[in-house]
Amino acid sequence: MSEERSLSVTEAMSLAKGALEGVRVRVVGEVSEFNDKAGYKAAYFTVADAGAAMSCLMWRDAYDASGVALRCGMLVELSGNFSAYVPKGRMQFSVRRLTLAGEGRLRMQVAELARRLEAEGLMRADRKRTPPRYPETIAVVTSPRGKAVHDVLLTLRRRYPLARVLVAGVPVEGEYAEHRIVEGLQAAAAAAPDVILLVRGGGSYEDLMPFNSEMVARAIASCPVPVVSGIGHEPDTSIADMVADVRASTPTAAAETVTPSRGELERMLVKERRALGHALQRYLAAAAHRVSSIASRPPFADPHALIGPAAQALDLAGIRLRRAIPLRLERDRERVEYFEGRLRVTGPRLVENAATRVAHDAARLQDLSPLAILARGYAAGFASDGRTVVRSVSQVSRGDRIVIRVSDGRMDCTVDDIEREG
Amino acid sequence: MQQADQAVVEELAFGEAMRELESIIAQLESGQLELEDSLERYERGVSLLRTLQSRLSDAQQRVTTLMGEIDAVDLESGSGED
Repeated sequence: MSEERSLSVTEAMSLAKGALEGVRVRVVGEVSEFNDKAGYKAAYFTVADAGAAMSCLMWRDAYDASGVALRCGMLVELSGNFSAYVPKGRMQFSVRRLTLAGEGRLRMQVAELARRLEAEGLMRADRKRTPPRYPETIAVVTSPRGKAVHDVLLTLRRRYPLARVLVAGVPVEGEYAEHRIVEGLQAAAAAAPDVILLVRGGGSYEDLMPFNSEMVARAIASCPVPVVSGIGHEPDTSIADMVADVRASTPTAAAETVTPSRGELERMLVKERRALGHALQRYLAAAAHRVSSIASRPPFADPHALIGPAAQALDLAGIRLRRAIPLRLERDRERVEYFEGRLRVTGPRLVENAATRVAHDAARLQDLSPLAILARGYAAGFASDGRTVVRSVSQVSRGDRIVIRVSDGRMDCTVDDIEREG
Repeated sequence: MQQADQAVVEELAFGEAMRELESIIAQLESGQLELEDSLERYERGVSLLRTLQSRLSDAQQRVTTLMGEIDAVDLESGSGED
């Protein structure tokens, strides 16, 4: 190929593209432009530093897999290769991998740890313990130097000097800070306080990193005593805050959270004193009312009412009893005497009566005897058998033999003639 | 009577004394007590109140260091550490 030969634009760009694609690098820069529209097959953005800017593209699937949501101002680390977009003659950087750099990276790592610990359940609301309202001993784990420990001690003294304070002074930044914080928490827990304050004054994101460590998070989660965190300033949230039983925004706020205020307490005690007095007065008034209302009821208002009727009934019964006994005896004796008299009269009369009745019956029997009728001159005819009484002429025929009875004997007769009458 | 199973007021922790005081008020307000008991409860309440108030007004902060010395400067405004 002759050096003098001119290339077409396409050839030139293709040559450049080929050369660029051999350049694989890792680049750190700040995102200065970002264009991510839903329909695009790639995310387009620009990274820059003070001296230069670089157009980047990252295919959709790789971008989504990176887990980074790009925003302008983010510090990112890119790896990939340069390339050229031949139709427009533009150079671009084709990004294979994208991660956050610097604080951005720290934040991402922290967010990742937070997700992991949350998935483990370390931040669950039902794990959060409530510190006692009136702690007797408060432990403070913090730097022994600086404003935080001072603020905490001052606040505790101002609000609730009754609590004994234990201080575990530990370095809160630097290489071994997380280890020392864990030791501090353990030493504090070993003293069995009612609550532990884990506090630190404000600082940069990196300064606060020990409070984002997994080791410290686990020490808080496994601490047998409720832990109240107060780390940095209001907007900072560390993993220690998320795992702590109570999260306060600052060291002072943490100290306030775990103590009742002395002034409030004193006001409350004054109220309690009043409440106590009122409660007793009300109780006594109610008791007095109850007693007097009971006293006014019939049995107490008029003691006789309770036993009156019964007593009266008893009296009446006594009277009747006293009257009844002699009266009854007298009456019984009279009755006995009366019956005795009657018996004396009746006894012999009973025999007399019986004799009379027998005689009378015998006479009646006599009257009713058929013999007595015959004695009055009547006769009775009997058939030849001597038993059947002949009451009608139709019972006999001429020549029949019949028996005629009269009062003193019988006659055997023959029927000579029969004449019907009537 | 109840005296036997009751802790001496001075030996109660502040929180215990507070809780007991609150429960005494609640008991008195309920009106369910015997008269003798209510008077006894009231007296107990008064002595709880007295000790709570005096403890609050007399309290001095006590600070103990477990690890790492606290800067003298930080504590100079503090009161009696032991």
